[in-house]
Amino acid sequence: MPSGEVLAKEIVLGASVQLTGPVANTGRYYRDAYQLAVDRINAAGGVRIGNDSYKLTLKLYDNQSDVNLSVRQYTQLVSQDKVDFLLGPFASNFALADSAVSEKYRVPMVQGGGASDQIFSRGFKFIFGTLAPASNYFGSTIEMLKGLDPAPKSVALLYADDAFDVSVAEGTRPKLKKAGLTLVMDERYSTNATDFSSLLSQIKSKNIDAVLVAGHETEILNFVRQAKSLAVAPKMYSFTVGVPSEDFRKALGTDADYAFGMTAWLPSADLKDRWFGDAAQFAAVYKAKFGYDPDYHAASGVADVEVLVQAAEMAGSTDPAKVRDALSKVKFDSLYGPVEFNESGQIDLPQTVIQVQGGRLVAIYGGNGKIAPPKYPMPAWDVR
Amino acid sequence: MGLLAQVLVNGMLLGGLYAVMALGLALVWGVLNIVNLAHGAFIMLGGYLSWYLYTYAGIDPFLGLPLTAVVMFAVGYGVQRGLLNLIVRAPMFNTLLVTFGIEVVLTYLAQLAFSADFRTINPSYVGDSIALGTVVLPVSRLLAFGIAILLTVSMWLFLLRTRLGRAIRATAQNLVAARLYGVEPRHLYAMTFGIGIALAGAAGGLYGTVSQINPYIGAALTAKSFAISIIGGLDNPLGVIVGGLFLGILESLTALYIGSTFSDVASFGVLVLVLIVRPNGLLGKAA
Repeated sequence: MPSGEVLAKEIVLGASVQLTGPVANTGRYYRDAYQLAVDRINAAGGVRIGNDSYKLTLKLYDNQSDVNLSVRQYTQLVSQDKVDFLLGPFASNFALADSAVSEKYRVPMVQGGGASDQIFSRGFKFIFGTLAPASNYFGSTIEMLKGLDPAPKSVALLYADDAFDVSVAEGTRPKLKKAGLTLVMDERYSTNATDFSSLLSQIKSKNIDAVLVAGHETEILNFVRQAKSLAVAPKMYSFTVGVPSEDFRKALGTDADYAFGMTAWLPSADLKDRWFGDAAQFAAVYKAKFGYDPDYHAASGVADVEVLVQAAEMAGSTDPAKVRDALSKVKFDSLYGPVEFNESGQIDLPQTVIQVQGGRLVAIYGGNGKIAPPKYPMPAWDVR
Repeated sequence: MGLLAQVLVNGMLLGGLYAVMALGLALVWGVLNIVNLAHGAFIMLGGYLSWYLYTYAGIDPFLGLPLTAVVMFAVGYGVQRGLLNLIVRAPMFNTLLVTFGIEVVLTYLAQLAFSADFRTINPSYVGDSIALGTVVLPVSRLLAFGIAILLTVSMWLFLLRTRLGRAIRATAQNLVAARLYGVEPRHLYAMTFGIGIALAGAAGGLYGTVSQINPYIGAALTAKSFAISIIGGLDNPLGVIVGGLFLGILESLTALYIGSTFSDVASFGVLVLVLIVRPNGLLGKAA
């Protein structure tokens, strides 16, 4: 090597996400977000540590939507590939298992794909999460329910039997009780269920006003279609996932209208960002590059990369232990919102209630109260 | 009481859809002795085909079913002629291995071609329903149910009455004797597999009007079709209807009385019971 030439120093980020398999539809948000963030940060001069500039590279594996495979891939990332830091997979059950690898090898993992409170309740020191806690997903929705006219009297809570949705249900029950709403149906269903007709018929026969569903996108899609075909129209229904994504509205067409959902992120120009300018500019860049709109998964994925960079610069080092300590103290504004972790490593962002109105997503109710009037109650299917 | 009636009707209509899904699997299994692990993947392909016909050519998913079936028949014929005929007399394990391989290849090709996005076949009337007193009959499921009955009865008549049907049954019973009467087994096998896949294709089109299609729905549909074939029995297409209805009603009642998470436990529990008590299926000859 000729003397005087500066070696390009690298920081390698490792992740395993769902590029194929049943969850690939959401997994792609993370692949695309990680790549976009890495490219953007490199283009802006990379990571500045002391007087050096480090280039970011991404080492990404496809876990084929298989939890066991993802654990093996994370093990490979830290033990064979010797990556510097870890980014997360999508979904709570994956993050729950994979974070054990980061803890064991003491490599910080920042993940924006798992919201279950379980991930952060084990006293782990190396896991940080940028999704709002699952237990509070329905928090803002319940706030909104209290102010609706006519007020809903009976509520049904349906949830899938996985780490994320069980956490949602556990957090929702006491909130409903506190809000004075009566929980008439409280039903767990199996993940990947395709037939909801029994549950829907019960909702109808019990004349339930508000239906809250914690599940996966494919289930929500079947739920809405079958609600229509069985002529089940509660006063409102709300879903933890699906509603913010473009694919959901595309697949359902006008049947997506009136569905309530939630998101911790909207591409607002008020969210300033060091690398993208603001969230609106990020959304435009993302859409131009990948051909579809980003949702909160994508924004959360970008925030994961950014917060690692921020922490490494703060620590002035790539030492995993020092970066971990910096992560626990980090406080900065990103396109995803203000990022700051609590004791257990989780972020706290309020969910904004959204509703599909005339094929468009409208923000209805946020952390500071009302934003826009909801379309409520939902009319019967045959008069829409 | 209204709720129970509704749930029973839900179960029956669901069972009709299950029966169409299982029909092709049972035929191929009964005649060729191939447990086609790629069956669900062919249902998935049929779903995409119907989706394309509806979205880009404006062909109604129910009217388009014959077209979907014809295309899938050609696919099935080709797969049997080019691939499965090579191993038709090999041990069962080989056919399982090859059909499993086909399933994996089709699933990943589908993701490559169609992406992991979901599709739904959603003509305006699909979500409509007919009210009978307090009981609601969803139009899409009612149509699927009608087509299931139609296909099963046609299949039964076809196997009993037509020359080709007889040849298929003869080959299944005694290959050597069938050959002596001029049956060409390679062509016949391919015809049978083609018909099985055509039925899977039609089932996929129906499935897309009721549920969502993505590249990964296949494996679960194969498992369900497998259970229905076992419960109903392989030697009579009417058994498939019985198996489908039985499973549909059982799952719906389980969801109502015990809990939705137990639906699969109930259906596979019954599968095991049937295997122990009546290994030839509910309608099959007693063992």
